Amino acid sequence: MRIQVRRTGGFAGIERVRAMDTSGRPDAQEWHALAEQAMRDGRDSPPAGVPDGFRYQLTVDGRTVYCADPRLSEAQRKLITRLLKEGA
Amino acid sequence: MPASRLMPVSRPMPVFCGIVPPHLLDRLARAGDPAVAAAARRTLVADAAHRTGRRLTTVTGAPPPAQEVVPGPQRTLYDAGNRTVLPGTRVRSEGDGPVRDATVNRAYAGLGATFELLLTAYGHDSIDGAGLPLDATVHYGEDYGNAFWNGEQMVFGDGDGEIFLDFTGPVDVIAHELAHGFTQHSANLAYFGQPGALNESVSDVFGSLVKQYTLGQTADRADWLIGAGLLAPGVGGVALRSMKAPGTAYDDDVLGKDPQPATMADYVRTGRDNGGVHINSGIPNHAFHLLAVQLGGKAWERAGRIWYDTMTSGGLRADASFTDFAGETVAAATARYGRGEEREAVVKAWSQVGVRAE
Repeated sequence: MRIQVRRTGGFAGIERVRAMDTSGRPDAQEWHALAEQAMRDGRDSPPAGVPDGFRYQLTVDGRTVYCADPRLSEAQRKLITRLLKEGA
Repeated sequence: MPASRLMPVSRPMPVFCGIVPPHLLDRLARAGDPAVAAAARRTLVADAAHRTGRRLTTVTGAPPPAQEVVPGPQRTLYDAGNRTVLPGTRVRSEGDGPVRDATVNRAYAGLGATFELLLTAYGHDSIDGAGLPLDATVHYGEDYGNAFWNGEQMVFGDGDGEIFLDFTGPVDVIAHELAHGFTQHSANLAYFGQPGALNESVSDVFGSLVKQYTLGQTADRADWLIGAGLLAPGVGGVALRSMKAPGTAYDDDVLGKDPQPATMADYVRTGRDNGGVHINSGIPNHAFHLLAVQLGGKAWERAGRIWYDTMTSGGLRADASFTDFAGETVAAATARYGRGEEREAVVKAWSQVGVRAE
């Protein structure tokens, strides 16, 4: 499974993109479950968001959903935080 | 309006006596951040003048019956404890002394400085003009490199320490977030495309004005930077945006290069960042800087007044383009100052960034 997060907006307006391929990873199942839940919680079009809030695009195996701070589901927040730290 | 907000004092000098204990102001006046220190010193001076006035009143008899009531801020600070539940735990309310957490105290002082500029320069009571309480949450999230306005309150992260430091550090960042509340309650510019870039620019304008006001700077002495002191040591940059020279604030391996245009010739068309609201804001930012420098003196006086009038006159549409906004600033300048140098300077500033304003 290929998981990508693209973060835009924020006070700085600086974009950040991180991705990872879970194949071969010992914790792949955990990532899959998290990514699937985060995708279920996402929206098909970008939400309005709030001034200076981060906007996110989550893309899993070619499908993209949207979400924005501060209204993230627990799975979205966890996935985004981990991927921005550990992804490449 | 709660009675605690009302303080009878005589015009013309509004002071916030009794809200900030002098010992805190003394400490803030010696604080590391020159903007915070300057704000605290100014308030100390104002308080001293007010106390003298009170003593004189005691000696000379009762004050005249027709006293005016001058509003004060109603600040409440919350600590999210590095979680993301808002607002978090209340840690400091209006009139409370300083707490051990410097982040809380910085945010409290920054909200006070913004409130003071709006009131003393424009007679605007809080961000809605009607005494709206100011709520802010600090320590939001873990290593959270951002600050935002959620429609009701300000939210500040601690930064990751590698790229961004604490977002309550620069007073212009605090004022920027609060100005989003001002915009929401005035022109309510849409947060997308050109009206979104104007929304961002208005926050940068009032963010910088609060910093200049607290430092007592004239337009030619101000740095016109947004977020100076926010970038961690080692990051290649001086700030996040420059109103004086958009596109020059940073150039770094991790952050990339400041993408802001200064004029319409370099306008960026993009769907990202809500249509580039943090990018194209460089154009109206630069127009304001040019106007303020052209007029000279303190930027919050005439230049700031024209921008304030534009936002509050009721003539600006929520979906205003740069051209619409420029036209409204010309109308505001004419309404307040007539067809003199102010109006001419406004038209010229917009023309210099490639926006036609008639």
